[in-house]
Amino acid sequence: MLIDIKSEGDIGVAVISGEIDSKTAPKAQETLMPVIEKFNKFVMDMTQVTFLSSAGLRMLLLIYRQATAKDGRVVLVGLSDEINDTMTMTGFLKFFVVADYLQNGIEALA
Amino acid sequence: MEPLTLPASFDSLSPLRQYVVDAARDAGLSKEATYKLKLIIDEIATNIISYGYGESGLLGDITIDGEVIDNKLRITLQDTGAEFDLSKRELPDEDELSKPLEERDVGGLGIFLTMRDVDIFEYKRIGNRNYNIFEMYIK
Repeated sequence: MLIDIKSEGDIGVAVISGEIDSKTAPKAQETLMPVIEKFNKFVMDMTQVTFLSSAGLRMLLLIYRQATAKDGRVVLVGLSDEINDTMTMTGFLKFFVVADYLQNGIEALA
Repeated sequence: MEPLTLPASFDSLSPLRQYVVDAARDAGLSKEATYKLKLIIDEIATNIISYGYGESGLLGDITIDGEVIDNKLRITLQDTGAEFDLSKRELPDEDELSKPLEERDVGGLGIFLTMRDVDIFEYKRIGNRNYNIFEMYIK
């Protein structure tokens, strides 16, 4: 798993690729939490994420809580059908704004 | 396929998933069923590593084996951790799953996804060995 952090104006963008499991989710969390601290508007581009387990859901939960605690907003971009399914079945999806492409995600927060 | 034995550590999750992908390809399992089986094996192996071994203070291995039986791909996980029958675990219900994320307890989601996705599940404890058996229909 790799994470690339950048910013678009006042929006923090994390481009994540690879597999998010019990091994990598804590590392992702460690990398992403400071970005949420810094930006109230946060986009996670997950177009290149090929696998997300419940450890990844736990990470998303913590990111969501951290963001909402400071009135921030999180947009998830490019969820695969499989990850979309996992998030729908567990009741996670409806709490996130989702977008198909990074540009739409950034526009949703502008 | 030849069984594969790996140490019970999170580093083994990626090779376990790869084993599932290879077995599923050989068996001709659909893309959708392959992902589900990959998720199942990841979730249950995580459970075995975290609770079966980790919390019980036990060390050991996980063995994965894949075989085609009639029209099903069977993946078996074997371990020597604490006894744990995940089919007896209480799962989050609709009420829990519809709660706001602020109030959610994420425990049990992996097993919930497993039980939802697997076609046939069986657990056996023989001696000090756990057998978690997952079968998916090849359509």
